[in-house]
Amino acid sequence: MATKDKLISHVLKEQPVGSRNKVTVVGVGMVGMATAMSVLLKDLCDELALVDVMEDKLKGEAMDLQHGSFFLKTHKIVADKDYSVTANSRVVVVTAGARQQEGESRLNLVQRNVNIFKFIIPNIVKYSPNCILMIVSNPVDILTYVAWKLSGFPRHRVIGSGTNLDTARFRHLMGEKLHLHPSSCHGWIIGEHGDSSVPVWSGVNVAGVSLQTLNPNMGAEGDGEDWKAVHKQVVDGAYEVIRLKGYTSWAIGMSVADLVASIVKNMHKVHPVSTLVQGMYGVKDEVFLSIPCVLGNTGLTDVINMTLKPEEEKQLMKSAETLWGVQKELTL
Amino acid sequence: MSSVLQKLISPLPGTSTEPPRNKVTVVGVGQVGMACAISILLRDLCDELALVDVMEDRLKGEVMDLQHGSLFLKTSKIVADKDYAVTANSRLVVVTAGVRQQEGESRLNLVQRNVNVFKSIIPQIIKYSPQCTLIVVSNPGKYHIWSGRGKASCVTCWCCKPFTVDILTYVTWKLSGLPKHRVIGSGTNLDSARFRFMMAERLGIHASSFNGWVLGEHGDTSVPVWSGANVAGVNLQKLNAEIGTDADKEQWNATHKAVVDSAYEVIKLKGYTNWAIGLSVADLTESIVKNMSRVHPVSTMVKGMHGIGEEVFLSLPCVLNNGGVSSVINVTLTEAEVAQLKKSADTLWGIQKGLKDV
Repeated sequence: MATKDKLISHVLKEQPVGSRNKVTVVGVGMVGMATAMSVLLKDLCDELALVDVMEDKLKGEAMDLQHGSFFLKTHKIVADKDYSVTANSRVVVVTAGARQQEGESRLNLVQRNVNIFKFIIPNIVKYSPNCILMIVSNPVDILTYVAWKLSGFPRHRVIGSGTNLDTARFRHLMGEKLHLHPSSCHGWIIGEHGDSSVPVWSGVNVAGVSLQTLNPNMGAEGDGEDWKAVHKQVVDGAYEVIRLKGYTSWAIGMSVADLVASIVKNMHKVHPVSTLVQGMYGVKDEVFLSIPCVLGNTGLTDVINMTLKPEEEKQLMKSAETLWGVQKELTL
Repeated sequence: MSSVLQKLISPLPGTSTEPPRNKVTVVGVGQVGMACAISILLRDLCDELALVDVMEDRLKGEVMDLQHGSLFLKTSKIVADKDYAVTANSRLVVVTAGVRQQEGESRLNLVQRNVNVFKSIIPQIIKYSPQCTLIVVSNPGKYHIWSGRGKASCVTCWCCKPFTVDILTYVTWKLSGLPKHRVIGSGTNLDSARFRFMMAERLGIHASSFNGWVLGEHGDTSVPVWSGANVAGVNLQKLNAEIGTDADKEQWNATHKAVVDSAYEVIKLKGYTNWAIGLSVADLTESIVKNMSRVHPVSTMVKGMHGIGEEVFLSLPCVLNNGGVSSVINVTLTEAEVAQLKKSADTLWGIQKGLKDV
C-alpha cells in the first residue's frame, strides 16, 4: 500500500468544488508579476492563473510563485499559454501588451496593443463568460473601450485601472507635503490615465476640511504653494520611474490588487477607475474615462456624481475628444 | 501668508519625532532585494524601509515606485541612498548584494571578489546600526572551474563546486564583529519551503501541513531529514521504512532532488529566482521583528555541534526572535546525515581558510 494511502483516507464522496475566487493575470511581465504578488500577499484568491505567450518565462514565474506556497494562502497557482487554464475566473486582470519606452507616451502604444487584445479578449470570454475584466495595459482608457467592444460584456464588467494609480501617487505626494499618511489625504484625479488627467482641487481635503477653502488659489497659476506642480509630478511620475529603472511595477501592482480586493470582497468601495462616461459631463462619444465608481462583486455598480467646475468639465471633454480621436481610427 | 499646512494642522507642543522601532534595510535592489522589499512591505513588518545600492538611478527608480504605492501600505517611511547613513538604526539588515561568476573566472577569484564587495558593505552597515541583526541572502551560486560557464549550465557537471550563502554568512560574521547569534544566513529556509511544497503536492495537502526539514549546506549537498518527516505527527518513515533511500519503490528522494534542481530550473526558464526567496526572507523577518521565537532552518555557526570542529555556518533548526538566533534545536540525525554535515563543514572550511582579509 502506498505511503499516501497509509497516511490519508479520502472521505469526500462528492466531486470536489472548484475554486470560488479565482483570479487570472494575463501577461507575466513586471506589471503582471507585481500584480500577482500583491494579490497573493493580500490573500485575495483561492486560485491564481497566469497566462502569457512566452512559455519558458511563464513556467519559470509560476514555479517561483509555487515554491513560495508554504508562505501563502493560495493553494492553487497554475499557468499555461492555453487559456483553458483561466476557466471560471471571477476577475481577469489584463496586463499584456507593449509598454512605454523612455519618453514615449501611452497613446503611442495603441495599435500594437489593440492587435494583442484581439487575441486575448475572446479567449478570456470563452473560458470565463461571467468574469469581471480589469484592464491595465496602456493606453488603459482606450484599451478598456477595446476590451468592452471585443468582449461583448455589459459595461459594468469591464473596468480600466485608470486613474486609481494617479490618485494614489497624488495622495502620496500630498501626504509628503502635509506630513500625513496618504490614506488621510483625500484627493481625486479623474479623466485620462496619463498626460491630461484632471485633479479635482475642490474635493481635496483632510478630515473633511477643504484645502481649497484654506487656499483659494490652489491649483491655479497664482498659487504660492504651487499645488499644480504636485499634479505635474503625478503626470511625470511614471516617466521618471521608467527613466530611472526601465519600467514601473510595484505601485501599479499594489493599486490593481486594491481594486481586486474591493471586487472579490464585495466591499462597495469607491475608486477612480475607467468606465463608460458617455452622457456624463458633456461627453457625447463612447469613451472610457476615470470617475469615482463603486466596486463590488458584480463589478462596477454605480458612479459618484461629482460637482465639477466648468474648467474641470472642459478638461474632461478635451480628454474625451483626444481619446475619441484615436479610437475612431481603430479597426476592431 | 500662512500655508495650507499651517492653517490645517496645529502641532501639539512637546512632541518630537521618535526614531523608528522596526526599521528594516535591504542592501541590493536587484530582483531578489526588491522581492524581499515588497514581501516585507505587504506583510506590514516594518515602520521604515531603507534601500541601498551602488546603482543610483535604479535605486531611485525602485524607491519612487514603492513610494507611489504608499497609499496601499502601512510603512510610512521608505527611503533610499547609496550612502549608508540612510540605514541608521535598523533592527534588521537583509543583504542581497554580491557578484556572479564572469566568463572564465576562477573559483578563488569569484570568492575573493565577493569578499571584497562585502568588505565595502558590512562595516558600513555596522557603523550605522551596531545593534542590528543581519540576514545574508546573497548566493552567487555555482561556478564552473573549466570553462567559466555560469550556473544555468552547471546542473550536473562534476567539476562544478557550489559557492553559497553559507560561506558569505561566515564572511559577514567575520567582517561585522557581531556575536554569532546576530548573523543569520538564509541557508536552507527556502530549500525546506520548496521541499514542503513538493512533498505536500504529492500528498494533496497544504505545504504548511507537511513537516519536513532540509538542513546543512544550502544547495546540492543539503540534507533532507527523512526521520523527521511527518503529517499531523504521523511519521512517514514509520509508514515507509525505505523512504529517502534508493531502495524506496515510491522514490520519495526524487522530491529532494527536485528541490535541489528547482533553482536551476527556474533560472533556466526566467533568468533568475526572486519571489520564493523574497517570501521566505519576509517569513524570517516576521519572526525576528515580532519576537516570535519560531523555529526556522537557517544558517548559523555550528562549531561544537554534531562533532563539527571548524567555524562554519550550516543550516539547523534555529529559534528566531528579536535577539536573532536565541537557540538551536538539537536534531537527532542518523550517522549518514551527520557524516554529510561534517563533509559540508570540511568543504566550506577548505574554501574559507584561503580567504584574504576576512
